[in-house]
Amino acid sequence: MDSSQLIVLLADDDASDRTNFTDALEESRIKTVVHAVKDGVELMEYLKKEDTPVPHILFLDLNMPMKNGLACLKEIRSMDKLKDVAVAIYSTSSYEKDIEDTFQYGANVYIKKPTDFDTLKKVLYKVLSAAYVYREPPFSIENFLLKL
Amino acid sequence: MVKQDEDRDALAEKLILANQELAFQNEEKEKRASELAVANLELEFQNETKEKLAGELIIANHELAFQNQEKEKRAAELVAANKELQLFLNISSHDLQEPLRKIQMAASRIETSDYLALSEKGRVHFVKMQEAALSMQTLIEDLLTYARTNSDERKFENIDLGIIIDEVLDELKDTIEERNAVIEVIEICEANVIHFQFRQLIHNIISNALKFSIPGKPPHIRISADLKPGNACLNDQLKQDLEYCHIRIADNGIGFEPIYREKIFEVFQRLYGRETYKGTGIGLAIAKRIVENHDGCITATGELNKGATFDIYIPTLKKPQHG
Repeated sequence: MDSSQLIVLLADDDASDRTNFTDALEESRIKTVVHAVKDGVELMEYLKKEDTPVPHILFLDLNMPMKNGLACLKEIRSMDKLKDVAVAIYSTSSYEKDIEDTFQYGANVYIKKPTDFDTLKKVLYKVLSAAYVYREPPFSIENFLLKL
Repeated sequence: MVKQDEDRDALAEKLILANQELAFQNEEKEKRASELAVANLELEFQNETKEKLAGELIIANHELAFQNQEKEKRAAELVAANKELQLFLNISSHDLQEPLRKIQMAASRIETSDYLALSEKGRVHFVKMQEAALSMQTLIEDLLTYARTNSDERKFENIDLGIIIDEVLDELKDTIEERNAVIEVIEICEANVIHFQFRQLIHNIISNALKFSIPGKPPHIRISADLKPGNACLNDQLKQDLEYCHIRIADNGIGFEPIYREKIFEVFQRLYGRETYKGTGIGLAIAKRIVENHDGCITATGELNKGATFDIYIPTLKKPQHG
């Protein structure tokens, strides 16, 4: 694995959303290795495996069967190995409660899933090129919700 | 002897007098006694009436207690129903958004990769499809805003309305420039409001004013806000002894027939066809809801092609300074 590559992990139960996501990353100028999982349970199992590389950034859908994104976020932030991983919430919802809850439990940025492919590419580019910023406190809820 | 007779006579006379006095006293006593009897009767009657009234009062109290119980039950039912409605709206809006977003995403991917492969007719249909998807997105978002505009998030603050108006004018900058609109802020004051809700309220009314302008005539919007006592507001829904912040937003647009002055605040009420004026018909319903969250009142006055005026009254929680 090339050390300049960003390790990206995506948890999303929707197959077409996963395809759009990986396609958009492929077309972006940033070198990435993407691994995608299809729900919260699979995500946590994958993260707990010894040989799983710690991702640079995790894109986390909220509305997932079995274990939802918020529950995963809480668990991730309680794990020593993962407590500093950048977590980008990646959801259809822009419900204030979801934004507040995920902010409170330590997500780094909140992305409302875009409705067109070009915007998706722009959003991912912006988040990935700023991934390192998300490890730097302080961070306020005012710029938590990503705006282009 | 004579002396003895004289004495007897005098005694007899005294006796007669005493008897007379006694007779008079008896008469008086009898009179009192009969008066007393009458008074007793009266008292008895009053007591009876009182008891009857007390009985009636008890019944009325029971009835009232029952009615109160019923009212409380109804209120609780209403709260529960409202909660359920809110939940239903949130869930269904989210579930509606999800597939719609996917339609839009798929369409945008076809647009970037295969648009040129479409026939000319196909492209027209394709654009129509995207427009329809976009208007559905707007509709769902507006519905969500409406559903979430409740009083749960009451955080009131005293804020200069000029700040809120500036924020709104900034949000609407593009439309204002595009339409050559003139916005005139005449007078401004502070108000005790929920900041983000109030911004939404002002936004909805000003964007309405920009939208419903007369074709070829640049919109001219006049905004003013001042404090006045309720009895000076010419609105019978206001409390006379409270002070209100009166905000007036008047435009020179297409206005409306006066019979619609209440209807325009209802959800999905549109006075004009979708072809002429875009929109979902929720904006003013949201505005009204926000004003109600502030214990205020909003009215609209207008005439066809002579502009519309919105008057908003928000209590300041202070006693009037004058009047």
